[in-house]
Amino acid sequence: MASLDLVQSLHGHDDRAWSVKWNPAGTILASCGSDTKIILWMEEGGKWSAKVTLTNAHQRTVRTVAWSPTGTYLASCSFDKTICIWKRDETGAFDSIATLEGHENEVKCVAWSISGEYLASCSRDKTVWIWTCEYDDEYDCLSVLHSHTQDVKKLCWSPSEDILVSCSYDNTIKLFKDDGDDWTCVETLSGHTSTVWSVGFDHSGNRLVSCSDDQTIKIWQRLGGEGDGNFGAQGWQCVCTLGGFHDRTIFDVDWNRKNGAIASAGADDSIKIFEEDLDVRDSLREPSFRLSFSVPRAHSQDVNAVSWNPVRPNLLASCSDDGSIKIWNYTQEAR
Amino acid sequence: MDGFSGTLRLTDLNDFMAPAQECIKPVTINRIPEKGRSIKITASGDYSEVDAKGQEKKLEKAAITLSDCLACSGCVTSAETVLIQQQSVDELLRVIRENLEVPADQRRIIVASVSLQSVASLARRYRLTMRQCQQKVSGYLRSLGVDRIYDLSAASALALTESQREFVDRARRNDPGSLPMLASACPGWICYAEKTHGSWVLPYINTTKSPQQIQGALIKKYLSRADHQNPGKYYHATLMMCYDKKLEASREDFYDDVLRSREVDCVVTSLEMEQMLEKKGVLLDQVCSSDFDLLPGLSTEFYNSGGGAGGYLENILRHAARELFQYEVGPVEYKTIRNQDFRETTVTINGELKLYFAAAYGFRNIQNIVQKLKRSKCPYGFVEIMACPSACLNGGGQIRAPDAAEAKVWLQDVQELFDSLEKTDAGSNIPWLDGLYRTLRDDPSTEPSKLLHTQYHSLENKGTALNIKW
Repeated sequence: MASLDLVQSLHGHDDRAWSVKWNPAGTILASCGSDTKIILWMEEGGKWSAKVTLTNAHQRTVRTVAWSPTGTYLASCSFDKTICIWKRDETGAFDSIATLEGHENEVKCVAWSISGEYLASCSRDKTVWIWTCEYDDEYDCLSVLHSHTQDVKKLCWSPSEDILVSCSYDNTIKLFKDDGDDWTCVETLSGHTSTVWSVGFDHSGNRLVSCSDDQTIKIWQRLGGEGDGNFGAQGWQCVCTLGGFHDRTIFDVDWNRKNGAIASAGADDSIKIFEEDLDVRDSLREPSFRLSFSVPRAHSQDVNAVSWNPVRPNLLASCSDDGSIKIWNYTQEAR
Repeated sequence: MDGFSGTLRLTDLNDFMAPAQECIKPVTINRIPEKGRSIKITASGDYSEVDAKGQEKKLEKAAITLSDCLACSGCVTSAETVLIQQQSVDELLRVIRENLEVPADQRRIIVASVSLQSVASLARRYRLTMRQCQQKVSGYLRSLGVDRIYDLSAASALALTESQREFVDRARRNDPGSLPMLASACPGWICYAEKTHGSWVLPYINTTKSPQQIQGALIKKYLSRADHQNPGKYYHATLMMCYDKKLEASREDFYDDVLRSREVDCVVTSLEMEQMLEKKGVLLDQVCSSDFDLLPGLSTEFYNSGGGAGGYLENILRHAARELFQYEVGPVEYKTIRNQDFRETTVTINGELKLYFAAAYGFRNIQNIVQKLKRSKCPYGFVEIMACPSACLNGGGQIRAPDAAEAKVWLQDVQELFDSLEKTDAGSNIPWLDGLYRTLRDDPSTEPSKLLHTQYHSLENKGTALNIKW
């Protein structure tokens, strides 16, 4: 039997907690929320506790945090229209080194490319921005993308190449690539019938998982197979829709890049784990996923985000409108 | 909304306003308070007022004008319909039609000023040379009932000369806020700067009016004087490369209260011109040719060197090198920074960096300039800022390639057409320009420092707490 067991509840935010993200080494969990605080949680003697609290950078809700691929930088974005870049020094302390301005209103998400070369941000102003840092902690805007027609909710980068994915209140998912002089939208994935709240890649970059206000989770497959360098030309296709599991908006999904499990969470206060039915998988058939485990009342209010630890794949973190952060231990079904 | 530059589109310039971007402009409606009345919504969705006697009266709709929108910081402007009513081909045609219906002595003089970028766009569309296209456009406008047709020679020459002088003044003054000087010809950029960044960025912007508005001032103040006519006698339309020019023409700064007249009454874009030709089934190449008129005192045409954005960077660079360092700049060489729309150039004399200019087109590059300036890390003396990628030849009002895949080749063709005209350096002696300046200075009402300059207004959104929801 698979199971998801609570390891620890963490309390430190005074208001709703919006986002949780593990650093690449899996040793620090960063969380942020409406109290404008960013808290860094670390494990000591088997117990997780708040080690660092970053304050005074943002005036309003901190919506999302993101770690750079090396773990040296942390980016935070806020409803105060700004993005803040934090740098970790030799002592492990974090200093705010840059504030990125330009969005017209609430910044909803930030994400670093796998190469660390680009930082992407998106906002209620309907735009996606791509930034780069060349020297002296000076960030320049490389592109402002107007493809979405509504609030852009979340961003993620491919783990294998510089491809950015965004999802929006306009019900679509969009893929962006650098065409040499500017970034352009190379593909739009339609299928969800309401706001797409989150999107994430699998380990290979050939599959995407998305979740929506339409209460479904969709799996998208890159056509042309693995290793097909001709990205975008062949397109992406929805190969699986998981409905009937969440009965309210699904706010977040995260695809475990080590063990392939998909975690989802939403307004029904639950956390659910899905596994692919590898037994029935063959190249001629569409993949099939099944619910592996569900925690119906994972939090007492909306669960806003879930995040798998990249190094310890059994650890899952979640955060909620109830203000708490929870760390869970996932046990896969014995095969 | 596609006509506007991307910079403006970003700033909530949309027919559809998201919940947090509802129009917050208070509207005054004259009504007499009276008891015992109620409001009824009719089947057609109109609102009627029913008084105590049961009499129905249709209620006036609250109307927001373009000027209201421009003076408000709630959003950049509300709906495209506002623009369409006041600045359109239909409006131009209506004015011309009505003008022909009144007795000859009461008729207004209909003037059209045609931008070179629009000529290049139409020339590409109809496969004409620049010269042919100018003559065909002129011939067509005359056939509609336009009385005078001018190019922007004088306005461009004046805009460049005034910008050159202003730059040298600023460089000599060199107090905080004087440099870098930022170009002012692009209305998309000006609107964005005023509404989004406001007071701190405005002092850096060149106070020289854009060629369109200088042309407007010349028509209403200079031409009218030469003609011994009242400025109100003229109806002035422009054919421009840019939808945002409609916003520029509507600015209060360019409305003369005393004369009750706008410098530019109506802006028509290249694209709207094409649509009008298509609608009427007119083949431009088969229209009778006619030459442009020349403003009084002008002996030749002037086409600016230095590109489709107006040539500000190159002309100011040459003039500043000459005035400040007694140095003649050769062909200007650019270094591309990161993308084609962000280029730098320098003047180095005896190993010492003397001038460091940049051209930054498109919203992403404007961002970097503005943010660097905000952090006092902008190293440039002058920045030719334009809202559209590839600047004005690619303006939001230009005719697009029929197939989006050919957009780049199409733009190259337009560029080549534009470049085919012989260009003049604004610093070289243009005899009629000196004469024009002398005439302008002779009359206090056309004093160049007033006639050719403008000011900017901070419209920062202060009431955020009131209108932001999420």
